[in-house]
Amino acid sequence: MKARYLLSGTAAAIALAAFATGANAASKWDGGDELPTSALECGTGAAAAAAPMKYDGGQPTNPPALAGKEITVVDVPKLIGIGYFNATSKGIQDAAKELGNVKAKTDGPTEAKIDEQIKFIDNYITSGVNGILFAANDPVAIAPVLKKALSKGIHVVGYDANSTPDAREWFVNQSPFNGIAKAMVDAMAKETGEDAGFAIVTSTFTTPNQARWIAEMQAYAAKCHPKLKWLETVEAQEDNNLSFNQATTLINKHGDKLKGIFGMTSVATPASAEAVTKAGQCGKIAVVGLATPNAMKPYVHSECVKSVVLWNPIDLGYAAGYVLRAAVDGKLKPGDTSVEAGKLGKLNVINGSEILLGAPFIYDKGNIDKFDF
Amino acid sequence: MSALAERNARRAPKWLTRHETLLALILIVALIGLGEFNSRFLTVENLLNQGRLMTEIGLIALPMTFIIITGGIDLSVGAIVGLSAVMLGYSWKNFGFPLPLAIVFALAVGGLAGFVNGFVITRVKVPPLIMTIATLALYRGLAEGISQARSVRGYPEWFYVLGQGEVFGVPTQLLILIVLIVIAGVALDRTTFGRSLYAIGSNETAARYSALDVDRTKLVIYTLSGLASGLAAIVLVSRVTTTRMDMGMGYELDAIAAVVLGGTSIFGGAGTIWGTVIGLVMIQLLKNGLALTGVKGDATIVVIGVALILSVLIASSLQRRRE
Repeated sequence: MKARYLLSGTAAAIALAAFATGANAASKWDGGDELPTSALECGTGAAAAAAPMKYDGGQPTNPPALAGKEITVVDVPKLIGIGYFNATSKGIQDAAKELGNVKAKTDGPTEAKIDEQIKFIDNYITSGVNGILFAANDPVAIAPVLKKALSKGIHVVGYDANSTPDAREWFVNQSPFNGIAKAMVDAMAKETGEDAGFAIVTSTFTTPNQARWIAEMQAYAAKCHPKLKWLETVEAQEDNNLSFNQATTLINKHGDKLKGIFGMTSVATPASAEAVTKAGQCGKIAVVGLATPNAMKPYVHSECVKSVVLWNPIDLGYAAGYVLRAAVDGKLKPGDTSVEAGKLGKLNVINGSEILLGAPFIYDKGNIDKFDF
Repeated sequence: MSALAERNARRAPKWLTRHETLLALILIVALIGLGEFNSRFLTVENLLNQGRLMTEIGLIALPMTFIIITGGIDLSVGAIVGLSAVMLGYSWKNFGFPLPLAIVFALAVGGLAGFVNGFVITRVKVPPLIMTIATLALYRGLAEGISQARSVRGYPEWFYVLGQGEVFGVPTQLLILIVLIVIAGVALDRTTFGRSLYAIGSNETAARYSALDVDRTKLVIYTLSGLASGLAAIVLVSRVTTTRMDMGMGYELDAIAAVVLGGTSIFGGAGTIWGTVIGLVMIQLLKNGLALTGVKGDATIVVIGVALILSVLIASSLQRRRE
């Protein structure tokens, strides 16, 4: 009798321990958010088709019939004068030149201030443009002025940073969160091997995009690279110095266990690469991250960094230009599943009213010199 | 004596050489000029819309005029806008305040922030410039810390009447601004309180010896400045439907620019609410008119800068001629 109690007690303890370990394994990485994740399929297989969503964008009220006619378009990015948005602006100009019947110009605040951006858009509504392209500084704050544009019959298409869906017709999505996550984790596993330990340098634990990427990375790693071992996530704002210090601390703290560092911001990635270079760990510790090519060229050329993950912002602007023209011409209507975008070919509609640019772009030694931003 | 008076009369009547009058004339000429260039500029719809957009700065510029007339300055107004906006969202979402109470709470936070400025300035004798630079950082930091850089959204529909609605075809917040302009103008021109501001600005020591309660007056105007910033925050939140910790960044410079362009002396002792209003309208409509005429954002800032310098030059040359 006693033995039975003992036995069941032991069994319960083991079950409890197993449960605790299981719970521990399921606990989230620091810096990820709690939203549901949707990891992509492993390997190079095509993404599983998501359940089609009903069109949830907004439509302009009685837009003038301008199919095939010349239109004036203004592009209002988050801010002007930085490499990234210079590149999207170039893409829009490229599209305008190819199409021949689009007059596009880029204008916007010199700092990423939502209030200024709203005033710019408001003024362009009054000046009577036919189309507005935007990259929102705040998805909700920008919505009223975009809805005003729609109500005046102006076509509205977003890129890079979305607004609430009903405030614009379409949004060109440079890369969904799970696509970036897959590209990052796959690149890391390829460089470090499957059972390596890695750490993450992010901006802050609550920065929305970074938190989303980290959560998706965890989901994808659990599914496709379960042996990769997460060591810790550190915060480094988007500060160059702090990122360098945090990465150096990681290298010293974890020693041989650390085989890879993820840089989650365009500041953290080059700073981590610099830290690895200074520590003489090139080739021993891989750096994979989101960054712009110019900042990463030295490390890619010195072969300290093999892959830099980002989308191509020129293509992003180019696609936005084509999507707007297609919306004006009536070639892209609610319910359509794809749109023709010049040299990019056919782009698919996802999530109801978003146009997917494609898989994220990997910059490496072979192609990085072709980009200047 | 009579010869002098005669010469003055022949030159020009006094009201014509006043800074505000000249500025108003320049404004009218600029408006007509820009209107010629662009048919979409001088329309009722556009002008009312511009009124909507300039209300937040306008609300802040009124007490800023008071403060600058006393020879002080308040650089923390933009940060108070951010803090009040965050407190509005935070108290509504996290404390579960009903929205009307949250609005009152956000106003109170603004008033308190201004009161703290005034208290330290008058009691500890910290120069206003230093104190409000410090609270500029402090209040913005509080806004960031409390909000955790997250925004609060999803306000009920009635709240948007304030920032997006109209009353008799006029934007709601513009009506509020107009009422407050009249009150501030009368208070500055016709009340003991208003006149004592000039006395403090011209010669603070003399004002103290004339038995004016200088400290209490200053405490009142800095608190008013905080309250107005809180009100601007609520209008702004209602207009853009969300609260963010970076709201109101840089508002202090826009407000001070309007006040100074309107002829208020940065050294204190001179200035009017009417001048501030003309300065405010001038900056807003210049920006709008240039944008509509196809001038890009960066060039617009240059034009505003040149206009400010010209205005200061005109003001100081008028000053010299009067002396």
